[in-house]
Amino acid sequence: MLQSLERVMDAVNAETLWVCKSEAEGRGLMLDIHKGFGFTDVDVVFAEFEGPGVRIRGPGLRTSPSRQILMARADGEVIP
Amino acid sequence: MNKVLLAPLDPVHDIGLKLMARSLSEAGYETVLLPPDLTAEEILEQAMRHNPSVLLLSRTLGYGVAETLARMVDLADAAGLRENMKIGVGGMAIRTELAAELGFDAGFGQGTTVEQVICFIEGREYQPTTNRSQKVKRNLTAGYDYAWNHARIEKKIDNITDQILDWTRHKTSPGVERAKLRESAWDVELWRARLGVGDFHRHYAPLCGELPRNFFSQGLLHPKTRRFSHDEVQKLEQYLVETKARMSVRSLQHKRKGPLIFNQYGTGCPFMDIGHILASEAWGADGVIHFDPSWGARTEGLLDGFLTHQEDGTVITPANLNRIFLALEPSTLWQVRAHRGLNTPETVVLAGKIGADLTKINLCYGSLAAGTDPARMTVDGVHSMRYAKQYNMPFDVVTNEELSGVPAHKAFAGMLIVAGLALKLGARPILQPLFACSPEVIIKDLMEDNYIDFNAAKVKALRSVINAPVWPGAPVGFLTHTEDRVQSAMTTALHACLAASLNVDAVSIASTDEAYSGGPISVPAKIDTLRAVQEGFRFFGQANIAPTAAAELWAEELIAGIEKTLAKVQDCGDFVAALHAGHLGSRQDGATPGRAGKDSVTAI
Repeated sequence: MLQSLERVMDAVNAETLWVCKSEAEGRGLMLDIHKGFGFTDVDVVFAEFEGPGVRIRGPGLRTSPSRQILMARADGEVIP
Repeated sequence: MNKVLLAPLDPVHDIGLKLMARSLSEAGYETVLLPPDLTAEEILEQAMRHNPSVLLLSRTLGYGVAETLARMVDLADAAGLRENMKIGVGGMAIRTELAAELGFDAGFGQGTTVEQVICFIEGREYQPTTNRSQKVKRNLTAGYDYAWNHARIEKKIDNITDQILDWTRHKTSPGVERAKLRESAWDVELWRARLGVGDFHRHYAPLCGELPRNFFSQGLLHPKTRRFSHDEVQKLEQYLVETKARMSVRSLQHKRKGPLIFNQYGTGCPFMDIGHILASEAWGADGVIHFDPSWGARTEGLLDGFLTHQEDGTVITPANLNRIFLALEPSTLWQVRAHRGLNTPETVVLAGKIGADLTKINLCYGSLAAGTDPARMTVDGVHSMRYAKQYNMPFDVVTNEELSGVPAHKAFAGMLIVAGLALKLGARPILQPLFACSPEVIIKDLMEDNYIDFNAAKVKALRSVINAPVWPGAPVGFLTHTEDRVQSAMTTALHACLAASLNVDAVSIASTDEAYSGGPISVPAKIDTLRAVQEGFRFFGQANIAPTAAAELWAEELIAGIEKTLAKVQDCGDFVAALHAGHLGSRQDGATPGRAGKDSVTAI
């Protein structure tokens, strides 16, 4: 993953219009671009297909402590 | 006094520079404004003639900008003008990075203030104006006398609330007992000083259900939670120190005093919540609302420790609330919802001790749409309101049972009963009508033409019953949002503007991820709606949205429906029985009396 992505608070939203033949194709392209960034937790929030292509928004999510939970090592107790 | 030469480095556009010249002139500077469409040589010739201490250039058109600016710098250097003259450049086409790369003394991008330019002229470091940080925390209930404006409704509510108080007088529940213990035996100052809480947990654990009991006896956590590590806590503290040092907050309201804007957080992770809260505050939220996991409402007892949760909703623990409280800006109103489950009274106590400004209680919603047994919710609700008074926390009376299908007049009757009860207990309720395209609205085509009239009717109806603060929510525009962020921001902003037009006191808004159910709400989605609301408030200023005649008609229908509903509850003679009978929302409507905490009410 790019070092600058470490500074992202929670998600990088990619928003564009893919020139494509269907919404499904556009969704696939969105997942591809996020995987290229190195995100493993990616989704499509919104996709709206019209003739020229699909208007689409998809977040690539940074792993936060809450999402990391199942992988976490219990490496210390914390008091308030 | 410095002389300033202003020159548009552009064939046509000079409006920005004209405004700047006027502002600088009003500030006492001697200014010379040149016309557009001069060459670099002609501008520098004028500079030699006027001998200014500062040359301000502007550029609006984007094409060829780098070459044009670079040439200007080269010529000024070659003419030896820069020894006694600073050159700054601004305008729509200017990026500050580009200006610096090309060797200008300053670059001014979009949104530049006169103060910034004056600092440049005078060679002072620019300190952002403190106006953005001068927000003060407001009391949403100030100025309301809670006078009833409708005698028949007042009388019915008086009778119903008397019955409720009489019925609950000698009853308690595990939730009430935990709240009493938290109130009497848990000293927040000792706890904050890490001096322990005595034998609080020894008495507390037996009052809890299995999950908290296992936590206190064996250290077992909820399977989807874990403690933060020391390393994570240190990073949080460092992040807070760094961010607070450069933090300021903006106001959204333009010329109006209100409404105050709230959004909610509850990513599951208090660390992430703090990031979301800081961003919300910076972009103008006046208040934030703590959103806890749904299982928390069905669990007898609260956990402890600084915990993160895998799914939506941030677990209510003393440490979680305390960390969040300590991260808030001084002007931010903080609401901790208590309203709907088995920990309602204790949540009010804990939130009050930690420092919350507001809470949320509605025993009708909690009973009919949130899964809690009506008898339990009634007993716990009454005690919660007593604690809300004790800790000086006004609370909104949410009416989200409308989302289940309960018609507005029934939900409002329930809300007014709770408000009446609160007033008898000395508390300060805030009415929370739902601005939503609810099931009732869809079935009856109440928003076939517009989203204005029925929402306006709700506020009109409530105001004709009681003089109380109104805080539409939650969030406004519920069920009008889609996953399209432009549409979502737009509908939120318009609903907030309607609320402003109706002069309500506060509004809860969603993010543009409101309709997205596939993952967490991200922070840019929160900023989207804050910016949209700010722009909406700027657009309308003190102008109002005009509802049609339908609003008046529907307001009258709502009042009649409220009165009829209250008559049924009154005639039933037993508030809990009335909840079960469906008078405040029936199974046919979509409401179902809850079962959590069933048979847990006991006589004292």
